[in-house]
Amino acid sequence: MEPTYPNGGVNVCWRLRYLFSEPKRHDVVAVRFAGSQVMLLKRVVAREGEQVEFRAGRLYVDGKEVEEPYVRFPCDWNLPSRRVEKGCVYVVGDNRGMPIEGHHFGQTSKIRIMGVPLW
Amino acid sequence: MGVLMVIIGIVLVVTLLPSEEKRVKKRVHLLSEWVSKSPEENPITMLQKMKDIGSLFLEHCELKAPNESLSGSYTRQEISAYAGSARSHFSRIDFRFYDLHVVFPEKEVAKVTLTARLIGKSTTGEQVDEIRELECLLKKIDRKWFFNQIEVIEVLKK
Repeated sequence: MEPTYPNGGVNVCWRLRYLFSEPKRHDVVAVRFAGSQVMLLKRVVAREGEQVEFRAGRLYVDGKEVEEPYVRFPCDWNLPSRRVEKGCVYVVGDNRGMPIEGHHFGQTSKIRIMGVPLW
Repeated sequence: MGVLMVIIGIVLVVTLLPSEEKRVKKRVHLLSEWVSKSPEENPITMLQKMKDIGSLFLEHCELKAPNESLSGSYTRQEISAYAGSARSHFSRIDFRFYDLHVVFPEKEVAKVTLTARLIGKSTTGEQVDEIRELECLLKKIDRKWFFNQIEVIEVLKK
């Protein structure tokens, strides 16, 4: 999630954030793996039912370009359009300067969203 | 007095003998220990670890890894050789498992879900930090647990 959150930084996960609400576009969320000991920080860019794609480094949701002020590194990603499945959100990190092949992103089940970073 | 001795004996056996869950976790942790590599590792230790890694698997083991070229059925020797080849590309490997959860879906079979994290430095100086969720099936043969299947769970689907 560089440059928004430095690699190896320490944070606290606010787990009650989505008790009565759903993750929204641009929210930074903690995505869990098998348990709560290891999590990734990612940004929600699309919600269930929406079409998401990248064209020349620009994010498009349902065919419309989305402004992303948090992306500061030059990006040349291209990703064909795909629909976010039911019960899922599409998450991407802010570090778009790295090659698309090496970046962990994609749709994930909302069950895996543990909360948001406290700061 | 005799009854008391029997009770103490039962308590000692129950507390001192490892449970099946602990045995399974110990086998899984051996894999992380033997995959890990220090910069000072000598060739003899490297060969021994390759052999040790193979000994944790059944004669045939299934690997399922979507989006990676590893999927398929492998023999114990192939896994040993692959592990040796992969380790040789790194000068340092710190391979750890987190959030181990063990269930026994049937007799002599254990299913373990866990998060695997590999932090390392390649021989070309590149830093590597990879995380995967794994689902492993182990079978118990002759009182020992062996990996029979390892599946990489797709947490983020591009």
